Amino acid sequence: MTAGGARLGAARLGVAMKWVDLRPEIDSLTGAVHTDARFSGASGADQAALELALQLGGTWGADVVVVSVGPAGSETMLREALAAGATQALRVDGDTAMASQDVARALAETFKGLGVDLVLCGDWSLDRGSGSVPAFLAGAMGFAQALGLVSIAPDGRSPCGLSAQRRLDGGRRERLRIQAPAILSVESGAARLRRAALTRVIEARKATVEVRPAPTPVGAPHLAPTRVGPYRPRARTLPPPSLTLSPRERVLALTGALVERTPPQTLVLEAPEAAERILDQLRTWGYLT
Amino acid sequence: MTERFDAVVVGAGPAGSAAALVLAQGGASVCLLERGPFPGSKNMYGGVIYGRILDGLIPQWWDEAPVQRWVTRRCTTMLTAGQALTIDYRTSAWGSPPYNGATAFRPDFDAWLAGKAEAAGAVLVCSTTATGLLRNEAGAIVGVRTDRPDGDIEARTVIACDGVNSFLAKEAGLYHHAEADHFTLGVKEVLALPRRDIEERFGLRGLEGADFEIVGCTGDVPGGGFIYTNLDSIAVGLVLSLPGLAASKRRPEDILAEMKTHPAIAPLVEGAELKEYSAHLIPEGGYDMMPELGQDNLLIAGDAAAMCLAAGIWLEGVNFAIGSGAAAGEAVVEALTRGGVVAQPLEGYRRRLENSFVLADHKKLRRAPGLVLSDRVQSRYPQLACNLAERMFTVDNPSPKKGMVALGRQEIKRSGVRLRDLARDAWTGLRTFG
Amino acid sequence: MSTGALAIVPVRDGILPLGGEETIAEGGGSALLVGTGVETAAREMVVQPAGRLLGWEAGDYRPAAWAEALFDTIAPHAAVILPASPDGRDLAPHLAAVLRRPLLTGAIRLTFAEHGTRVEVARRGGLVGELYETPVPVVVTMQPGVRGVDPSVEHREQPPQLELLNLPFSPTSSSGNPELVEIMPPDPATMDLGEAPRIVAGGQGLGSAELFARLGKIATALGASLGATRVAADAGWVPFERQIGTTGVAVKPRLYLAFAISGAVQHTSGLGHPDHIISVNLDASCPMMTMADLAIVCDARALIDELAGRLLSSTDVET
Ligand SMILES: Cc1cc2nc3c(=O)[nH]c(=O)nc-3n(C[C@H](O)[C@H](O)[C@H](O)COP(=O)(O)OP(=O)(O)OC[C@H]3O[C@@H](n4cnc5c(N)ncnc54)[C@H](O)[C@@H]3O)c2cc1C
Ligand SMILES: Cc1cc2nc3c(=O)[nH]c(=O)nc-3n(C[C@H](O)[C@H](O)[C@H](O)COP(=O)(O)OP(=O)(O)OC[C@H]3O[C@@H](n4cnc5c(N)ncnc54)[C@H](O)[C@@H]3O)c2cc1C
Ligand SMILES: Nc1ncnc2c1ncn2[C@@H]1O[C@H](COP(=O)(O)O)[C@@H](O)[C@H]1O
Repeated sequence: MTAGGARLGAARLGVAMKWVDLRPEIDSLTGAVHTDARFSGASGADQAALELALQLGGTWGADVVVVSVGPAGSETMLREALAAGATQALRVDGDTAMASQDVARALAETFKGLGVDLVLCGDWSLDRGSGSVPAFLAGAMGFAQALGLVSIAPDGRSPCGLSAQRRLDGGRRERLRIQAPAILSVESGAARLRRAALTRVIEARKATVEVRPAPTPVGAPHLAPTRVGPYRPRARTLPPPSLTLSPRERVLALTGALVERTPPQTLVLEAPEAAERILDQLRTWGYLT
Repeated sequence: MTERFDAVVVGAGPAGSAAALVLAQGGASVCLLERGPFPGSKNMYGGVIYGRILDGLIPQWWDEAPVQRWVTRRCTTMLTAGQALTIDYRTSAWGSPPYNGATAFRPDFDAWLAGKAEAAGAVLVCSTTATGLLRNEAGAIVGVRTDRPDGDIEARTVIACDGVNSFLAKEAGLYHHAEADHFTLGVKEVLALPRRDIEERFGLRGLEGADFEIVGCTGDVPGGGFIYTNLDSIAVGLVLSLPGLAASKRRPEDILAEMKTHPAIAPLVEGAELKEYSAHLIPEGGYDMMPELGQDNLLIAGDAAAMCLAAGIWLEGVNFAIGSGAAAGEAVVEALTRGGVVAQPLEGYRRRLENSFVLADHKKLRRAPGLVLSDRVQSRYPQLACNLAERMFTVDNPSPKKGMVALGRQEIKRSGVRLRDLARDAWTGLRTFG
Repeated sequence: MSTGALAIVPVRDGILPLGGEETIAEGGGSALLVGTGVETAAREMVVQPAGRLLGWEAGDYRPAAWAEALFDTIAPHAAVILPASPDGRDLAPHLAAVLRRPLLTGAIRLTFAEHGTRVEVARRGGLVGELYETPVPVVVTMQPGVRGVDPSVEHREQPPQLELLNLPFSPTSSSGNPELVEIMPPDPATMDLGEAPRIVAGGQGLGSAELFARLGKIATALGASLGATRVAADAGWVPFERQIGTTGVAVKPRLYLAFAISGAVQHTSGLGHPDHIISVNLDASCPMMTMADLAIVCDARALIDELAGRLLSSTDVET
């Protein structure tokens, strides 16, 4: 990150982090999910959000406030955020099943009260995986949004100005210029959270995490699933083979047997010959010219 | 650099937490380091903890320890390809306080014990790996280095409880013999089984539990097997000699799969669903391979000091780890109150271990590993015993029944065991286990 | 003509998003293309909506402002469906918020009954399935690629009747922020693995991060993305996003090159059905080798050096 951004005394950065089981046990027959608080923490994406906020905070001389809506267990995660360098941590009491719109409202109220004008989130939560909290949050706070970013850096031109890359379809990306106030969400690959210094880890064990009561839900009507089970992928529609083919050929086409395949070959080769053979094969298949 | 501690304990396994607990109770400032995200997160073992050693540390521990079942039935089984002979012992005495053995999950148990140390005042720091010993210019040990930024911890004493293959003990040069045959490989599957089925198959009620130790189930690899019951899962595993495994070119999971198909085992595990598979080294050389117990300001305890007792029908490590960890803690507290001259904790530590079961049992059982892993105990004796039992219980009238002695003679001859070896093994066994 | 469902498809420069047509086909009702170049996009479409085809040339992507402007158009529809493409996922929560409706994300199937909508969604990275049966109106995003479209059934007889809307559009305070600087073409090295048509992957046998770095360069030279097994990701040789399989990314490449991968079922079940597979392994009989069109028994490490020598310039090889 360049140290180009202008210093902004009053700026405060917010980070929204969700406390989730990072490796829940899922019964493959019933789809039942068993979670364990001890294996819970911030997802890679939420950690990346924290890291980027800490970097920006360092550049701009801004405070970093971390907020989580969740049960008491979330405080372990918040303390880790403090150890990593966050200035303040706050928990809004709530359960993990809260509707995304209500979570966003709780976050919006808290961040507004703190005077935060740039919030970083992870792109997806591991348990819900909807990626919708950041967008709801942008709506509730009336901020601009840039979601699913793969990189963020100060643009070095304006105070609190950022340049970012966002993933689009088909491998394309867009480059954006973003100005606070805004809500950003980042992929887990965008940054790797720093290791907290030992001194801070020991201090953070005793740090206080401010707790606020859960807000009353007023969002959209909440939907509960009528059935939860194992995931079964649906069959994909495939274009039918041309009717001019014979029945046998149609069966072959449907089962993929018509895809042109070299007869499977197993060769024992030394490395130089093997390399040549692979490149030849790729040329034959048309992947290389 | 952080504050200076009286002691830093590396590893929040049973040994480390016991050491930290005793230190904190004794008024020492102590930092307990654990590389996992929480104590016990990565620790695996068979499944039975013998809790007597806790009596002095945590009064009435059985009321709060996270236990699955209390072992009230203990079976020692000898298998051959198609036979099984079991000594089946059960007692209701083990089913009430103060109990004998308990099955427990290590992530539960270790976290609980570390929580006790923390409650007593120890500073527990997780997700932090000790990477080496910290030494001053004179070369004396003054703490440990960790993988965190700013991560050196200064302490008057370092207690290494970092488990088998202890990195710190090796760095300090305390190991003089660590060849492969001093280790065995433990592999284990946890299989989910409804509580009702477990109670039915193993003949248990309520929180009663069973513990099976098995010989003759490891094919041509020297070793043994075990089955323990948890509340709604069972642990099935093997302990295998490393050189034997290498020579056989077999994979441990295949040997385990084979054991599970044995006619005596299959009905116990049938239909159970695999929840996890894990593997871990066990120091199994016994007394004769133990490293030095420390040096300078460094003490080592538990598996780090090869204190696991894994001699055939015994597989105990947690109690030895707690015992040695607590002894290390006491020795450091004693040294601190006396002003802490350098050599003191080590002397006190050695004295405590020698006066306790920790070294006494190991000395007594020093020949056990060799005996238990010998070819005769592994395959010939199980075969002999099973054949003998088969002959005794087979009703083949109209031929008249044969006397026991005659049967014994015939079967010993048939098994190819020389009487001389039998006598010698019996004598070793008697001296070892007797 | 069903007016139940409305598919909303964000369009950029006339390009339909991933899953755009699947969403229209699944909704079985009307469709609204919104963004830039909607007429071009409509011409390119294979699927013909059962209901009306609407278009709104709304300019650059601006989800909050669009949602407000679209309120009257979409409010009558009991189900509003968007593809879970990057833009669809962004826009959907704003629509749900202005409509005050629940949002169901990542649907794999929608069916419409008299009393409401049935939505099946995938959770926890595709390990858990949930079924919602909702009488209340909803906003739904649909997972691209789970349905597929069959042009012979869902095709159109005539060119689509695109009805262009002219909506009142009040630029909000946040308009122009973020500001689009440029759109960058696909770069296989950074491309989302799930979309990559060619993948070069490595496993436990490679043994080091250095070798993976070199394999990554070979991948780039072949226009392919780099993948890995869980063992390799766990070892830290590659970031976790590169892990293919049940607990990693599900991919569907046409070409798959496997270096020192044994082909455990947890790995191959995330592999789709590549047209062409090349596998390099010391063990001729492991599953990955038996799956391959071309199986080469060879030391993958040495082979990677050879390939690097042939495909990369000398400066690349050094690093
Ligand atoms: C298959 C198997 C079955 C067994 N069955 C039984 C049984 O039924 N009953 C029984 O009593 N015993 C059993 N044992 C033995 C028992 O598991 C061990 O003897 C016991 O765990 C030793 O405790 P410990 O505290 O010394 O070491 P460990 O339990 O290994 O704890 C070491 C701790 O140190 C941490 N650590 C390591 N290195 C570092 C570092 N550098 N920095 C920070 N932390 C570090 C580790 O994460 C770990 O938490 C079995 C062992 C095996 C392998
Ligand atoms: C619940 C669960 C979920 C899992 N999810 C996933 C997942 O999402 N993705 C995944 O990949 N795995 C997953 N796994 C792990 C999976 O079971 C396998 O362990 C893993 O895929 C094996 O990776 P590998 O092929 O790299 O390693 P190995 O199986 O160890 O194979 C290495 C191969 O490299 C070959 N080799 C070694 N050296 C060389 C050399 N020099 N040259 C050529 N060949 C060499 C060997 O012959 C061998 O075939 C999961 C496992 C479980 C239990
Ligand atoms: N309960 C919560 N508390 C704090 N932040 C949250 C919460 N839920 C979601 N988020 C944030 O929103 C992102 C996307 O989550 P989701 O919309 O649930 O997929 C997460 O990565 C977090 O940054």
